[in-house]
Amino acid sequence: MSQRSLSRLQLHNLHLAQARRTVLEHLEGDFKPGAITALIGANGAGKSTLIQAIMGELRPISGEVVCTVAKERRAWLPQQLALDLTFPMSVEELVMTGSWPSHGALTGYCAAHYRKGREIMARLGISHLAHRPLGELSGGQRQRALIGRTLMQEAELLLLDEPFANVDSETVDILIRILRQMADEGATIIVVLHDMDHLRRLADEVLMLNGGHGRWVAPSALTHQQAPAQVVPFTMGGRHAGSA
Amino acid sequence: MLDLLNAWFISPFDYGFMRRAVVGGLALSLAAPPLGVFLVLRGMSLIGDAMAHAILPGVALGFLLAGFSLPIMSIGGVLFGLMVALLAGAVSKMGGQREDAAMASFFIISLAAGVMLISLGGSSVDLTHVLFGSILAINSTALLLIAGISTLIVVTLAVVFRALVVECLDPLFLRGQSRRSGWVHSVFLGLLVLNLTAGFQTLGTLMAVGLMMLPATSARFWSKRLEGLIGIAIVLAMVASTGGLLLSFHLDIPSGPSIILLAGFGYLFSALFGRYHSLAAKLRRKTTPLAVEPGS
Repeated sequence: MSQRSLSRLQLHNLHLAQARRTVLEHLEGDFKPGAITALIGANGAGKSTLIQAIMGELRPISGEVVCTVAKERRAWLPQQLALDLTFPMSVEELVMTGSWPSHGALTGYCAAHYRKGREIMARLGISHLAHRPLGELSGGQRQRALIGRTLMQEAELLLLDEPFANVDSETVDILIRILRQMADEGATIIVVLHDMDHLRRLADEVLMLNGGHGRWVAPSALTHQQAPAQVVPFTMGGRHAGSA
Repeated sequence: MLDLLNAWFISPFDYGFMRRAVVGGLALSLAAPPLGVFLVLRGMSLIGDAMAHAILPGVALGFLLAGFSLPIMSIGGVLFGLMVALLAGAVSKMGGQREDAAMASFFIISLAAGVMLISLGGSSVDLTHVLFGSILAINSTALLLIAGISTLIVVTLAVVFRALVVECLDPLFLRGQSRRSGWVHSVFLGLLVLNLTAGFQTLGTLMAVGLMMLPATSARFWSKRLEGLIGIAIVLAMVASTGGLLLSFHLDIPSGPSIILLAGFGYLFSALFGRYHSLAAKLRRKTTPLAVEPGS
């Protein structure tokens, strides 16, 4: 806890409810910069509820979420995208919208923005899709484009809700590499995960939600042997099932 | 041949009322279609219709208070339209009801109230005028008002364009970025009300929506890009409003319906022969060869 003062995101005795039903209580948390935290738990355990609270979309019943990251540096990729895929927009334009919050609504993009956008698309291996409409992308391509937007945004707090669901393995590899790079550059990353393999490859810390309470565990504690007993609820949940 | 062209396309504009009508129509054609494009993209195509009904009681009140004065009727329309938009927003926020459901309830109340007000204070001729407009009776004051509102809409759209795009594409992203993201929606609804108010004099409250929606829905058959959609919709609206006026002049038919019917013809034509998603596009669809795509 010596780094407590440094952390950008803290949960203090958090009590959260959805439709007057308590989902989580007495939740404590400390998310350090540069760390990737996996959020695990069965369907309905409150993973998405917690993310909503962190993003400021849900007001806590009591307790508080202390977040020192500026709003325009927070990024949230929900599982159920609000993204309108019929909207006539190309991959490059989507990535570029990431720069919009920080540089204002009225000024146009300059050459440096476009250069940065192209670099980001190259890192994600989607340069060849730059002018492709969003509606014509596969799940993996779309996820890469969305991560591209958060890179453009220079997000310091990144919340991802099952980013690897319905995504091809090559995209998973690329995304894991990029997320690690972002963390190394100091971003605080929280990922809702269902897959033990992804968890082992990605997570530095694990926050397990179960029965309305959160428990911090080391990823090493969730080894292959121990996993079934502790993790049954969420592995059984199925990775494609929705989570509350 | 030249004489025929002259007789059809040039000489009608020797009349002052036709000149004013065509300028008013072109001004509306510049402002309305971009709003329509955004409505279509947001899946709110019918909201325009609802708002058009919502301004009616305001227009009627203005009419009762000041007679047939366009500025007063417009102010009444704007105030009432904004009030209904705010009320619908408030009801949907507090009741968990979707905004379109609240809007649908308010607009039908408004329509009935408007018709009632006009019937109490005027004759059926006035009612027809407000409901269906008369572009040929635009005077200079009305023209200034229409041009002023159209200019305001185009300039405001240019200013909020990017925010509007982000809000349409991914409202969650916009909400995450800015505490004041709600203003984008409000400004958009405000522009919608303003545009319908400018349109009601020329096309009537019921048909003002036509110049906004039909070019926008037609454009979807011709372009997949936002700039393309807006550009094509504006051109279609300009052709429809000018062509409709000329048809109405030569064939002695009402101007409002002929403008909208021409735009409607454009829509049907686009649905049949457009580049994308039209009937013709479906019939001529050929498979493209498999492209090599790393990481797809």
